[in-house]
Amino acid sequence: MNQLNELHIDALVEIFSIGAGRAALSLSEIVSDEVRISVPSVQVISTKNINSTSLSLSCGPFGAVTQHFSGPFNAETVLLFNEEQALKIVSDMMGSQMSLGELAQFEHEAMCELGNIILNACLSAMADVLNFTLESSLPHYTVASADEILHRLKKNANQPYVLVLHIDLAIEKRSTAGNLVFLLSSTSLTNLVHHIDHFLSNFA
Amino acid sequence: MFADSSIKKLLIVDDSKVSRMLIRTHILAQHPDWIISEAISGEEAITLVDNDLPDYCTMDINMPGIPGTDAAERILAKHPSIKIVIFSANIQEAHHKRARSLGTILVAKPVTEKSIVLAINYFIDSE
Amino acid sequence: MNDIPATAPAAKRFVLEDVANALNLGLIVVDADGKVLLWNNWIARHSGIKETDALNRQFEQVFQEPVSPSFLTALKNTLAYRLPVVLSTALHRTPLPLYNAFEKNQRQARMYQSITITPIQSQLNESCCLIQVTDSSTSIKREKILRSHSEILKKEATTDGLTNICNRRFFDAHYEITVADAKRQKYPLSVFMIDIDFFKSYNDHYGHIAGDKIIKLVAETLKSQLSRATDIIARYGGEEFVLIMPHLNQQIAEQFAEKLKSAVFNLAIPHISSLHSERITISIGLCTGIPKKNHSMLNQADTALYQAKQKGRNQYISLPLCETEEYLEQ
Repeated sequence: MNQLNELHIDALVEIFSIGAGRAALSLSEIVSDEVRISVPSVQVISTKNINSTSLSLSCGPFGAVTQHFSGPFNAETVLLFNEEQALKIVSDMMGSQMSLGELAQFEHEAMCELGNIILNACLSAMADVLNFTLESSLPHYTVASADEILHRLKKNANQPYVLVLHIDLAIEKRSTAGNLVFLLSSTSLTNLVHHIDHFLSNFA
Repeated sequence: MFADSSIKKLLIVDDSKVSRMLIRTHILAQHPDWIISEAISGEEAITLVDNDLPDYCTMDINMPGIPGTDAAERILAKHPSIKIVIFSANIQEAHHKRARSLGTILVAKPVTEKSIVLAINYFIDSE
Repeated sequence: MNDIPATAPAAKRFVLEDVANALNLGLIVVDADGKVLLWNNWIARHSGIKETDALNRQFEQVFQEPVSPSFLTALKNTLAYRLPVVLSTALHRTPLPLYNAFEKNQRQARMYQSITITPIQSQLNESCCLIQVTDSSTSIKREKILRSHSEILKKEATTDGLTNICNRRFFDAHYEITVADAKRQKYPLSVFMIDIDFFKSYNDHYGHIAGDKIIKLVAETLKSQLSRATDIIARYGGEEFVLIMPHLNQQIAEQFAEKLKSAVFNLAIPHISSLHSERITISIGLCTGIPKKNHSMLNQADTALYQAKQKGRNQYISLPLCETEEYLEQ
């Protein structure tokens, strides 16, 4: 984490804000209403120090959308939202006829899409600004408790660092907050910093 | 009124240091003689503008304190001669509309040479 | 064909087209310019457009109806950013003009679709997109039937058929939530158990239909005394009601119990076989307090109701949540 200084973090916040703007645009086209997404903060934490506070994991269960990105760095990215709130948002997006608890399989697919839009927007903004190409797996949606999530994040010794973004999302007058978590290996973190440095060097 | 090469004053308003750096660098690449000042919030921008009137201004929307669109509205009310470009990650139609209704334009981030040229053209063409 | 060994891998053993055309899902490949490079049988069948009419043509122009703007944006994004995209059934319903059956002279509804778009490189190093489409229609139809049933059930599930106030089932759930909330935030609740006096003999004397009318009338009267959205009245049993009201102190709750009792008394509904007065009256058991672990407000209110009955009916008895027995005479 010493590798990321204030300017690096500023750059990441700016990059993810651009991603958030793109995601908001995509979502607003789907719901035909204004969507607000913002990324107020970015933090790098070493995996062994993660606890439920760092991920705002207060009240589960959580809906988690996962995509695995590869390229100049590899990162498993997980978008985490309180499941009930996220399902309400998705159910609003689907229109008033379908309600919570019904059509569970369709809500899960819609959550997958919501997560996919946000993850893709954030990562593509990164790729655009820092000038590299990324590939990704298809999104995968699961529901997990806070403990299960923490366990999953900590179990992989190859990913000692976690980049955590706090995300605020408001669609159709319903707002919620979530976290976007990147699990990074040390090499990946170093590569990321390297790319940011390279980008910043053009503007010093 | 003035030739393109005359010295202009530009105020950059954005809470992100990196963003301000980008805009500054790209602008100076096109117009190295322009005088650039910076503000990190809408409130600060309003104060700076009252003390030292710039010709042009770039404004982000999402900043701590009042949103950039409100700041732009207040600045233009007092100083209608300023040309403002809203530079933002918020690019939905509602924001475009608001920008236009204020007499400004919205340019999507990321800040690139292309988007800066768009902004500069807007500044200069409106004279 | 004879030189293919029996140990050949799938790629040599099968031709791509045969596999693609055998799939029970739609497969389309477009290149960076939006030109169609692959169009499998499933798509041909469900779009009514033959492969020969689709290949090498612009994707949008192949269809005779418009493709949804969200689909086109998703396709554009995948081609540009090379990241996979999901178009869920719930959010997009029918992005492509695909149908389950083509019946002559009949306008069928479009098929509900579940779509993924993934980047794929060709052997000629062209950056293409693979579009996979599956049919979600049958699940939706089944869910729609279930949903309209469950909407009916939901209404039945929370409202009492006779009186149109909340039923027991709703109240039980509401009670749990309210008690938990009051416990957490430490505010008082008042639980009123209300019972129509000598109801059985009213039924016996005036008949069940009249009895039902009385239950309805009493329910309406009680409900009309309530003004706050937080006050919930429910039918607890045959001629029994329960009322829960937050944020009242004991004195105010008792005044309210008095008000309820009078309201029913003043209806002046004749009840000849009542052993109390010759009109319909109610007894009320009231418990007010901040909910505590191991103390049931409902039980205490019930005990209070029992005492009200013992003491002659047409009255309320108020008991605090805790052990000490203090009650007021009517």
